[in-house]
Amino acid sequence: MPGYVPTNAASSGVKLDKKTLKSIAARSDRPGLIYIAQWLTFLAATGTLVWATLGTLWMWPAMLLHGIFLTVPAYSFSHETAHGTAFRSRWLNEAVLWVTSLLYMEEPLHRRYTHTNHHTHTWWVGKDSQMPFDTPMGFGGWLAEITGTALLRFHMQVFLHLAAGRYTSTMKMVTPEREFSKMTRNARIMLLIYALIAAAPFFGIWWVVWFLVIPRILGAPVMLLFTLIQHVELQENSPSILESTRSFRSNWLAEFLYMKMNNHVEHHLYPQVPFHALPKLAEAVQDQLPAPDPGFFKTNLEVMSVVLRRSLGRPTKAATIRQAPHMITEGGPVERIAQRTM
Amino acid sequence: MSQWIDACATDDIDEEDLIAWEHEGKSYAIYNTEKGFFASDLMCTHEEQSLEDGLVIDCVIECPLHGGRFDICTGKALSAPVHQDLKTYPVRVESGRVFVETG
Ligand code: FES
Repeated sequence: MPGYVPTNAASSGVKLDKKTLKSIAARSDRPGLIYIAQWLTFLAATGTLVWATLGTLWMWPAMLLHGIFLTVPAYSFSHETAHGTAFRSRWLNEAVLWVTSLLYMEEPLHRRYTHTNHHTHTWWVGKDSQMPFDTPMGFGGWLAEITGTALLRFHMQVFLHLAAGRYTSTMKMVTPEREFSKMTRNARIMLLIYALIAAAPFFGIWWVVWFLVIPRILGAPVMLLFTLIQHVELQENSPSILESTRSFRSNWLAEFLYMKMNNHVEHHLYPQVPFHALPKLAEAVQDQLPAPDPGFFKTNLEVMSVVLRRSLGRPTKAATIRQAPHMITEGGPVERIAQRTM
Repeated sequence: MSQWIDACATDDIDEEDLIAWEHEGKSYAIYNTEKGFFASDLMCTHEEQSLEDGLVIDCVIECPLHGGRFDICTGKALSAPVHQDLKTYPVRVESGRVFVETG
């Protein structure tokens, strides 16, 4: 027997009858295809804005807007397809996983296997290979996280390792051996595509810069603000998803960009439920769960305020978001619990 | 020694679903699919996770933890993260009862 219990509904004491779960988790290609159509429509609209403002100062807010619509759904879609729940057809899942991981900038199988490990050992120090920052978080860690520099550095190291056929101990721990050759092939192809994009301006091709590269850089912090609040300030080393993970309220736009992953507790409890059914799942289990935290902006402002106060040695109790008991202090030196694993 | 064991009634299992069944300290999954009744080990071959809460879709069982999929008829591992096949057991249906050949 293994020396662990996977972190999910069972380990969190949450129950849902099988018939309801089955009807909620039913698969279809339709919602994912509709999502692609909506995403492309948004990208066409924001891309038109970038085109119409090129050469003026307005191109910068236009590229930011375009970048948000490019980057956040790319993250969300690569996450959903890594789970294999976006579509009923497996080939569609795998094709979209490849393309969106290219945009998200992580080798797709590395994305899938480190994420399976994240679900087995959610927020367990030394076991979860997707802990993107040290905990408790300070302001320096917050900056490194939300600017995207830390993640980009990590993903580039992963690309180089895979391309060179050098597999780290974490990769070996979470990945079946037979996948390594595919990962190396993927990493080489993806690095070649990135190199071609980087070289494009030298051949007078600038549209990739205005429509892809700069928007991707500008959109990254917004994507990372979404992912930051999944687990920040919550309990490490708990078998209960209710203690380690946060859901937050959301408006339709954030729900669209994030593919309803604001229901993050629910997603970790029942990862087999596809994105479009998460609100239904949330409704079915709501009386067993803590109330979701406030919306995207308010939750992020609170997190920023807490980490700043922690770095200044001031009290760290947040006004409205959930925090693990040990995250709330009267100030003073911070004892590190977890070291980032990515 | 292999033996046929009376495991459950056919209507104990919903269509396109499975139940967990224990026999002599070992756990099995028994499935009711459009192609008939089948049995396999209950635990996923990827990690130590029971398939009991998994989804049965078109004669495929999907693991509830990471979505690995197995062909219910053959036990063949179909998609990542599972790569090792699931052990299956012969099943026979008689007079509304499901018999599993364990061993
Ligand atoms: S435990 Fe079954 S797919 Fe991972």
